[in-house]
Amino acid sequence: MFNVEKKNITLGFMPLTDSAPVIIAHEMGMFKKWGLNVSLNKQNSWATLRDKLHLGVIDAAQMLAPMPIASQLGLYGQKSQVITPIILSRNGNGITLSTKLYKKILTQQNTTKIDMPFSANILLNEIEKRKKEGNKLTFAVVFPYSCHYYQLIEWLNRSNIALSDINLLIVPPSDMMPSMQSGDLDGFCVGGPWNAKAVREGVGITGVTSSDLYQNSPEKVLGLMSNWQQQHPQTTLALVSALYEACQWLENIPNRFEAARLLSRSCYLDTNIDVIAPSLLGSCLTFNNTTPRKIPTYNQFSTLGDAEFNNPGQYSGENIANLMKESGHISSQQRAELNIAAIFRKDIYERAINSPKCN
Amino acid sequence: MLLYISVYVGIYFNVNELKKSTLSLTKHDHILHNTVKLKILLAENNHAKAKALISILTNTEYDIHHIAHSGVPLLKDVEQLNPDIIIIDIESPDRDMLENLNKISQFAPKPIIVFSEQQHPNPTINQLVKSGVSAYVVGEVSQQRVKSVVEVAIARFGVFQGLKQELADTKQKLSSQKNIDKAKRWLMETKQLSEVDAYNFIRKIAMDNSQKMDDVAKNILSVASIF
Repeated sequence: MFNVEKKNITLGFMPLTDSAPVIIAHEMGMFKKWGLNVSLNKQNSWATLRDKLHLGVIDAAQMLAPMPIASQLGLYGQKSQVITPIILSRNGNGITLSTKLYKKILTQQNTTKIDMPFSANILLNEIEKRKKEGNKLTFAVVFPYSCHYYQLIEWLNRSNIALSDINLLIVPPSDMMPSMQSGDLDGFCVGGPWNAKAVREGVGITGVTSSDLYQNSPEKVLGLMSNWQQQHPQTTLALVSALYEACQWLENIPNRFEAARLLSRSCYLDTNIDVIAPSLLGSCLTFNNTTPRKIPTYNQFSTLGDAEFNNPGQYSGENIANLMKESGHISSQQRAELNIAAIFRKDIYERAINSPKCN
Repeated sequence: MLLYISVYVGIYFNVNELKKSTLSLTKHDHILHNTVKLKILLAENNHAKAKALISILTNTEYDIHHIAHSGVPLLKDVEQLNPDIIIIDIESPDRDMLENLNKISQFAPKPIIVFSEQQHPNPTINQLVKSGVSAYVVGEVSQQRVKSVVEVAIARFGVFQGLKQELADTKQKLSSQKNIDKAKRWLMETKQLSEVDAYNFIRKIAMDNSQKMDDVAKNILSVASIF
């Protein structure tokens, strides 16, 4: 046990399928077990979650993996020392095309089915056609400093499609599906439950998951202000220990369904279990009334018996920084000056994991 | 538990309008003396909240448009109306969309003002205000407060843009100095000119053709690259 400096903690999260670790730690008593009384604070936008963390309105936050680096570099304007002591999830995203666009592509290719995962090559005809007409396909992601953004770019780049060949918008997750339905969006890269939701509604077809692009890319992390961690070292260790246990708990498939039930509650995702459960059970819904794809790593929170999975190590941090550089979010100089070890705090994680366990 | 009820408001500006506006600001007094009314788009789904803000900002130097859309339809409104300022509740999911307009498209950079109804004693608030991108106001949202925050934000944004411009200018100057030096060296080596003569040679061509020395240097270097 840790001698926590602060028992009452507020933790901000965005209502997404991969917020499971913080919700499970709360619901299944891991926080309590480590001497913490955590209140979960549901947020509507990443910018507001970030500001509340910077301002100390919340003590901790579940963040997109690139956000601590963006804060440290001051990409939002003001430099803020945000650190992460644990990776909460890897993978979890998917690229969905509108049913309308998909049907058009099928006609163009004179086929009834395209093998998955899709390559962005299937877009080339349409992009070329629109270029002549003076318009572009429109895609969306939820935040610029996000793995969704880098994964969409990666998918397009592998087919030699530049970002300038499409329109890219930042759209709130809850508006993705309606915007696709109204014809404003041709595709998006988001996390759960939004891909499954578009499929269930018959609006979209999910043809690629982040697991198809690269395995085990860090997705969500716990974010803390560096000075908060210095003032609350024991509390930090307790938080990391509780969240690590929640991630381990989520490795068990029968537990995943229970997690889906909890997540669907109105205080969390406030949405139907039939769009939350599939990805948690390793199933990628592709198209309405079609057999789902089996993607065991669709949502990954840990690997049983291997503490490395959640370790915010140098390699994970360097990878994200490289993606940020390749996408033009940071310059070569910023990349070179970046001290990853000061942001991705492997030292804190390992101290927590190697401490005696409480029962 | 700290209950964080807030009327945070993000404000975004059109740069050209802003340049006009900031010109009339004095150092000691961040008050706008602009005859052109700034166009404000208020994106707020909650009609009661919208009404309160409209009543604060009407009859001022702002021309206010209320829009209750969200998501992509709101984006279309922004494009169509081309407002100088957008006001949005910070608890709105649309904040990410509007705040990042300039990162992903050709939209102008935009500052943000954030209001909170709650007192929140944290020095970071002041730091954020100073950053020029965000301004946080705590306490009651009174008419004076909203107005003064809009003014401070405009002023800050002007300073922030000024600094950014200065940095861009300095970078430009450094790179043109580099071009001129390179061109000079090439002339010295190939035409056996002294450094002063090489410099005067570039300057004369620039003056004769009403060109910048940097552009002349670039031309010389592109000729040099053929050899």
